[in-house]
Amino acid sequence: MPDPKEKIEDLIRALEELRLHVARKDLAVGNQRINSQLYFSIANACLRNRALLLYGGMGANKTTLVNLLGSSFLSLSFSEVEDQMVTGYPEQTEEKMVGFLDPRQWMREAEEPCTVLWTPWSRSRWKLINEVNRFPGGKQNLFLEILQKRKISYAGQVYEPGDTCYYLTMNPEFSATYPLDEALLDRISVCVPAFQPNFLAGLALSERERDVGELAEELPRFTLQEFDSLPGLVAQKELEPQVELAVLCLVRDFTLCERAPSYDKTQLSSARPSRGLCAGCHYSGNPEAICWQADEGLSDRVRQDLRSFSRALAYLLDREADLEVLKAVAPYVIWHRINPIRSIIDRPPYYGARKLAFVAELVEKSINRTMNERADMNIIFSRAVDGETSVWRAMEELSIFDDPIARLDFIPSLEQMR
Amino acid sequence: MKLGRFMDDAYRGLNKGRSLRSEKGDPIFSLDDLGERLGTRPSRMEVEELLPQDPGTLKRLVESDPGNRYQVIWGHLSSIAAERSQQPLHLSAGNYAGLELSRGTIILEMGGDHVGERMKGGRIYLRQAAGDYLGQEMTGGGIVSRGAGNYAFRRMSGGLGVIKGDCGNFLGLGCSGGKVVCQGSCGERAGWLMSSGSLRIHGDAGDYLGLLMKGGRITVFGRVGRRAGWRMKGGTIRGKAFGPEAADGVFGLD
Repeated sequence: MPDPKEKIEDLIRALEELRLHVARKDLAVGNQRINSQLYFSIANACLRNRALLLYGGMGANKTTLVNLLGSSFLSLSFSEVEDQMVTGYPEQTEEKMVGFLDPRQWMREAEEPCTVLWTPWSRSRWKLINEVNRFPGGKQNLFLEILQKRKISYAGQVYEPGDTCYYLTMNPEFSATYPLDEALLDRISVCVPAFQPNFLAGLALSERERDVGELAEELPRFTLQEFDSLPGLVAQKELEPQVELAVLCLVRDFTLCERAPSYDKTQLSSARPSRGLCAGCHYSGNPEAICWQADEGLSDRVRQDLRSFSRALAYLLDREADLEVLKAVAPYVIWHRINPIRSIIDRPPYYGARKLAFVAELVEKSINRTMNERADMNIIFSRAVDGETSVWRAMEELSIFDDPIARLDFIPSLEQMR
Repeated sequence: MKLGRFMDDAYRGLNKGRSLRSEKGDPIFSLDDLGERLGTRPSRMEVEELLPQDPGTLKRLVESDPGNRYQVIWGHLSSIAAERSQQPLHLSAGNYAGLELSRGTIILEMGGDHVGERMKGGRIYLRQAAGDYLGQEMTGGGIVSRGAGNYAFRRMSGGLGVIKGDCGNFLGLGCSGGKVVCQGSCGERAGWLMSSGSLRIHGDAGDYLGLLMKGGRITVFGRVGRRAGWRMKGGTIRGKAFGPEAADGVFGLD
């Protein structure tokens, strides 16, 4: 079987040539420039059981792009993929989305287990939840369960759709939208903004004269074997040790808090940095420290998502999974999961609106710090863990490093080893 | 895999920066740590050089007990803390509090010896009487105290000292400037070897007031003991009433 990456490249080319997705190349990975919306959507198709959220205003080609990709990867017609998606609105019911009891079973005489007729969406391995924030909070919890368990349950019956690609779209807050629950947001691996076409893209799109469904037929088609081989091919991309280390430190940078129980910011409920938790703290106001700049800590899912999407993007761009890839991926993995403190995000150059740019700066700061200033302390810690130096000596040496990871993570770990 | 090898792989080919080390040498956790490296009588500059910038560490050090050994270090730390603080620094007690203080305010709940020694500016308020050597060699700033022991404002060359009660012997010994006001009485030999400045005593003064003084002004609103102005070479002494053997150059108050 030929490497399906060539087909992916054909797909990317075809989407542009057919004027099905023309957008600005807004993301730099080293010296390569790509469109984040397109590449992250394809990266998610190369992985399984990850969820991608496209966030943007109406008409930004969110739903259409996902359906076009679904059509190509699953080798279905565009309208078949469209029929499989579920769209959010308050009256949407579980029966319409997931499945319903087969009424014919009541006619049968023999006592048989209850039968559920699962909807095409449930059975599909390409699940698009369109306009997820038009679902009220209670109905959003349904997806929380599905994303968590990778199973769909209804009336006591459980359906396992197998490895699936999850996509969600949402609009900015309108009168008819509901806020997304933090737990659901945490289960979304990547959130990518979808922008309106710029001048040139608009010009290119105006050349499109045929219907989208008709043009979709001209996209390359993947065989089931090719589609199933993608996660394995991505897994072959090994993360460089620098990336593994930077991922660990990045997650700890957001999560450690001197004043939280067990230094874990995810334990906090009412006390938060934005509510004065950090007043008088040694790290508060220090631009190099990340802990005080965001209310939420990061869960371990972030670590997994950073690793998966770094691999997938490296595979798509045919490059090593290096720090440049991580720097490109990490802001999109983190920004929807945290709320920066208003005193910073409201000021220029963020104006309360450029959250992704702010998170990208924090990511850059953390990775640079890990690769430069943290080298000594990381090596001291590793030597002590390996038993090459005494724990006491390592603790004494680490105590002079003014870094949350050294003080709140390494030293307590060594104290337990003592 | 060993963690050490993982780190080695991660940092292979990279220049490791060291700017994270924000403190020089070994960590400073206590006055003992400072004392071990600086000795018992370091200069202000030596203390500042070794002191961590971390305000929490400074606070912890100032709040710790210096014992007899590290009083000078503690005195420097109290001044540094007061100078860095926007608010007055409240301290319970301690010898050498406000040592070489240049700005800021210290409020001492109880007195000690050598309070405000060599101070150049700022304010020190003592809610109780000070011990000996209050404001010794001070060149500026101000001290207000409920009382004082011996040698208050010895070799003072500037600033203001106010003692709201009585003080011991040798007040203003060798003063070459500044002003001292004692609202109570003082012991013997106040203004001894004084060359300049002003000494005002609202109560009584002991024997040998202004002994060998060369300049400055001493005013006593109460009674003065014997031999006031003995062998004085300059300056003025005024008092309400003088004891026996007062020098010829002393004046009564109108």
